[in-house]
Amino acid sequence: MLLQQLVNGLVVGSVYALFAVGYTLVFGVLDILNLAHAAIFMIAAFATYALVAAGVPLWLAFLGGCLLAGLVGIALDRVAFAPLRRRNAGTLIPLISSIGVSIIIGAIARGIWGIDERHFPNALGDAPPIHLGAITVTTVELVTFGAALALMLGLSYVLRATALGRNIRAVAEDRVAAVLLGVDLEKTIAMTFFIASALGGAAGILTGLHYNSVTVDMGAGIELKGLAVIILGGMGSITGAVVGGFILGAVETLSVAYISSNWRDAIAFGVMFLILVLRPRGLFGKRALRAA
Amino acid sequence: MRTFLSIAAIAALALTTPAFAAGKGPAAGKTVKAGVIADVTGGAGVYGTPQKNAYELANDDIKSGLIDAGGANLSFEVQDAASDGNQVATLMQKFTTDGSAVVLGPTLSGEAKKADPIAVKANFPVLGTSTTADGITSLGSCVYRVSLSEAQVIPTTIKKTLKSWKYKTAAIIYGDDNAFTKTNGDIFKEQLDKAGVQIVDTETFHQKDVDFQAQLTKINDKKPDLIVIGALAPEGVKIIAQARKLGYTGHLMGGNGLNSPTIYNDAGPGAAGTAVGAAWFIGANYTGNKAFVERYKKRFGGDPDQFAAQAYAGAQVIAAVVKNGATTPAEICSGLKALPLAKTVLGPIGFDGNRDVKSAPVILQIVKGGFAYFK
Repeated sequence: MLLQQLVNGLVVGSVYALFAVGYTLVFGVLDILNLAHAAIFMIAAFATYALVAAGVPLWLAFLGGCLLAGLVGIALDRVAFAPLRRRNAGTLIPLISSIGVSIIIGAIARGIWGIDERHFPNALGDAPPIHLGAITVTTVELVTFGAALALMLGLSYVLRATALGRNIRAVAEDRVAAVLLGVDLEKTIAMTFFIASALGGAAGILTGLHYNSVTVDMGAGIELKGLAVIILGGMGSITGAVVGGFILGAVETLSVAYISSNWRDAIAFGVMFLILVLRPRGLFGKRALRAA
Repeated sequence: MRTFLSIAAIAALALTTPAFAAGKGPAAGKTVKAGVIADVTGGAGVYGTPQKNAYELANDDIKSGLIDAGGANLSFEVQDAASDGNQVATLMQKFTTDGSAVVLGPTLSGEAKKADPIAVKANFPVLGTSTTADGITSLGSCVYRVSLSEAQVIPTTIKKTLKSWKYKTAAIIYGDDNAFTKTNGDIFKEQLDKAGVQIVDTETFHQKDVDFQAQLTKINDKKPDLIVIGALAPEGVKIIAQARKLGYTGHLMGGNGLNSPTIYNDAGPGAAGTAVGAAWFIGANYTGNKAFVERYKKRFGGDPDQFAAQAYAGAQVIAAVVKNGATTPAEICSGLKALPLAKTVLGPIGFDGNRDVKSAPVILQIVKGGFAYFK
């Protein structure tokens, strides 16, 4: 049973991690919490569902969903954050602004798609599960895990080895110095939002596919968990978000397996509390992104 | 020729509206407004929306005479509580003071526990159509429900399935943060104990969860003959699909919450055979049931579920009471008490001394593309 539970935890954790990576990227660069991240998670899943339902192949629909999420992210920055940034509004006002956008996106989605749960037609879930000894995995779980891992590795590469990545790290390190050195601030921020939102969107699409369920309020469950994961990992730390995501997935699963499902969330958050007591800045310090 | 045509037209009109023509009762011509509190949006929107649809249909059917309200101008005003407990309370307050004669709803048992006391304080009648948890009708002397409680459905479900499946061990998985699913789990546990079935594991989840694999892996490890699911349809669908995915091959069983088209449409082929104890069967032969299903489908483009059927039955019950002359809250309260069996889409129903509905549960089984009676 332990092996199967670890597999369950890994798959769940990979989605938490992917969601949290985008969340923490924006924080690392701008020092703001983008609480509309969960709304983008949802809107990408719906867009992909709509494309698949219209006959678009799944892989293309997936890319379309991520692209839309990225563009919504840029629009979100333009509408909710950029005007406040120009006025030096601090960090709390953008937080409220992002909650507002999140509510608006939710209302629009509800207007277009209603409140019914949607299911992907002929989703990957139809493929028979694969049995490997004591473990059972489905194609959709393998795809979810693989895609989440590939996207996170891709992000790590972009941040480490490309001009864009250098610009993003420079802005995260010191916005004024980056501008003085010739970094286009607004463009870099827009690209940060694009990447962060596309990754959050990908997490939404994978969640929708994994459970074959897309609903307007599907972001509600992951919003708080994502926040917990990035605090656990260390605000702004990409590595921390990834490790934190897998820790949360594993702790949740194992607490059900070996203690009790009644206590799942209490145990998961209790463990995070303990880690934070021991390491108040999270597992990977406060500014790890800048050293990435 | 013209005379003949008009006679024919009048005759045709009379034929299509027989109940209306026959239904001149003591309340004829009087206006009676019934308030409906339903979660049309928000988390419970999947249950409140079919309810709203059913009342819209009932309003039309009262006008056309298909539901006989004795010639009274009875209408149901649906207000959306948006799955928000505070809004449910606000709406209850509104309906008890705005000239309405009765309140139908709210959608969830938890909401009823919060809001019904407001009506009770105002000596106002409430008719629940989807509240199935324990302790709802005992909130006040004029709180009724047409929804069979879990306590009424589950014993029959176990008796019938045990006879045919002969299970000796069972595991229970239920939602512990919702009055309905919690009651579901508690009563299943109590009744399985009573029947001598050994419960090898009990797991819980929260509403809106999508991943049940940790719990189901644990259950599957203990190889129970039966898994009992105390869930509403959205979670139930995923529990069934994930249990089968993890290789569980035993029996599956649930209560009212699983009596939804979602279960047979979305849970995959592994759902076939699942037993569902319920208050209503879409294919039942009761007077008006088939017509209700047909008209609902035509108007809203999908099968009605139990929430819709029970809401429609609630409207039929209120119409029957109004037909007998009740038009004020006090009269409707005593009218409900005195009501002999009313013909509804749930079958003929009345109320017992505890104001719970008297009707027989149906035990269903999922077959390809729908439900059938359990064999």
